[in-house]
Amino acid sequence: MNARAVGLIAKSVLIEAVRRREIYAIVLVSTLLIGAVMTIDFFQIEGLTKFYREVALKLMSIATALTVIVLSARQLPREFEKRTIYPLLAKPISRLTFLSGKLLGVMLAAAFCFALFMSIYVGGTLYLGVSIPWVLFLQYIYLQMILMLILATLGFWLSMVLNLDAAITIGVLFYALAATFTSITTFIYDMLGGLQQKAIMVLTYLIPQLTLFDLSEKAVHAEAWEPLELSTLGALSGYGLFFVVLYLALGMLSFYRRPL
Amino acid sequence: MTGGAPVIEVENLVVDYGKGAKQVRAVDGLSFRIEPGQCVGFIGANGAGKSTTIKSLMGFLFPTSGSVRVFGKRAGVASSRQRIGYLPEVALYYPFMKARELLELYGGLSGMNRAELSRAIPAVLDKVGLSGKSEVLLRNFSKGMQQRLGIAQALIAEPEALILDELSSGLDPLGRHDLRQVLLELKRAGRTIFFSSHELTEVETLCDRVLIIHKGKIVTEADVADLMKPLNEYEIVFSVSGDKPLPESLAALEPRREGERCQLLLRDIEAYSSALSELTAHGFQVQRTASRSRSLEEYFIELIGGREGRK
Repeated sequence: MNARAVGLIAKSVLIEAVRRREIYAIVLVSTLLIGAVMTIDFFQIEGLTKFYREVALKLMSIATALTVIVLSARQLPREFEKRTIYPLLAKPISRLTFLSGKLLGVMLAAAFCFALFMSIYVGGTLYLGVSIPWVLFLQYIYLQMILMLILATLGFWLSMVLNLDAAITIGVLFYALAATFTSITTFIYDMLGGLQQKAIMVLTYLIPQLTLFDLSEKAVHAEAWEPLELSTLGALSGYGLFFVVLYLALGMLSFYRRPL
Repeated sequence: MTGGAPVIEVENLVVDYGKGAKQVRAVDGLSFRIEPGQCVGFIGANGAGKSTTIKSLMGFLFPTSGSVRVFGKRAGVASSRQRIGYLPEVALYYPFMKARELLELYGGLSGMNRAELSRAIPAVLDKVGLSGKSEVLLRNFSKGMQQRLGIAQALIAEPEALILDELSSGLDPLGRHDLRQVLLELKRAGRTIFFSSHELTEVETLCDRVLIIHKGKIVTEADVADLMKPLNEYEIVFSVSGDKPLPESLAALEPRREGERCQLLLRDIEAYSSALSELTAHGFQVQRTASRSRSLEEYFIELIGGREGRK
């Protein structure tokens, strides 16, 4: 794989994300959220600031996830639709290089988006005089990036097997449902029969447990939570990367088999 | 200029689209070779299989059967694409990019470094008539400017061979003229050029050889000079007064008669000279003589129109 070519393709994705101004709309949302947090503090309502910071982090995560799903799902269909893929793949690069460049670009756009969010969040939090649990907070960001990587590869794969609208819809539904899957199954597991419990177990292994990558509550309530052990962080990374490789392989397979 | 291994070698290429009852054969047993330094035009009606063939050369399509080799390697492998500049049939370039950024992307993907790019970009933009447009966003480019930029991206890495699909599409007459000059210059420099076009005058002017494809099969493959030779046509217009009969030898040439005016169209110079002598000998008044070459377009219309049952 040609690393320079990957970088060049990623740069083109990033230029698009930045120049199309979609990210700025998301940043505007985050600014409003931070503003809300500061307003709550202004009224000196104890405890509510924590709740709002938690909500703010969750909403930022959702906004970034939606950005990643939309960005990743539309990369390939738009290349086909606008026929921009022909001059690109006429150059001496493999389809793997092309897809890797697109993935890196989406991830850089997600990181850019997340960095903007976080700088506003951290600035706002420090302005309020609230200390930030840096280790836990950085672990939160790291796991969010793994979550975004899962969603980006999923978006690529879905866009290869479905049309653009369906890929975005399924991607968003997957994100929303997978995030609540753990809590629902934990709640209903004991009420189910043996066969149903087995089915739940299979689904649990098949569907990535996205809630595992969300440390927003812990990052806000840091007085009650220690940072994750390195072994736990490593296991979570391995778990996430398994789905990344799986979705990427499925996406690659569809992309390789597709005539242009 | 020929010699060495062929740049393009197509053997019994078959490409089908769809499956089962919906299967359509777009290319049906195509075979041809393009030698180094040749400029070859690839012409055919819409849907004849030109773009499918060109996409197969680039490795964008998977042939149903047959083989396609470019620079001796299987079509589509990176090492063969390294030596090719390709212009797609229709391509819109990223509207959010500037012309310079787009050429940096394509040049970079072709392996050019920063220094090479900074030299090559202004030169290639100048060559295609886009100098001064390097910092303009492509969303502000007209269709013709996009096509010029498409040609620039094909030329940026100075490839040994050019494969151009519908090269003058979207260009105005001035643009077509400029492009012809660029291609003539490349041809003189010994580059191999293979292009499809609906502009047959362009093919006539630029090409050494022409391939005519119809319903997925090559129906004519010839040097342009050879193809044009039998198209030479000689015309004699003479008048016939009253009911004066034509001598048998002239009547056998089936002149077209409108009142007293007769027109003879002859394919070779010997028949032309002999008919002229006979007309003079029998006292017919020759009003006009002319020799003309039919254009490639006329040949194409006659050939393909004939196959389609059109006159």
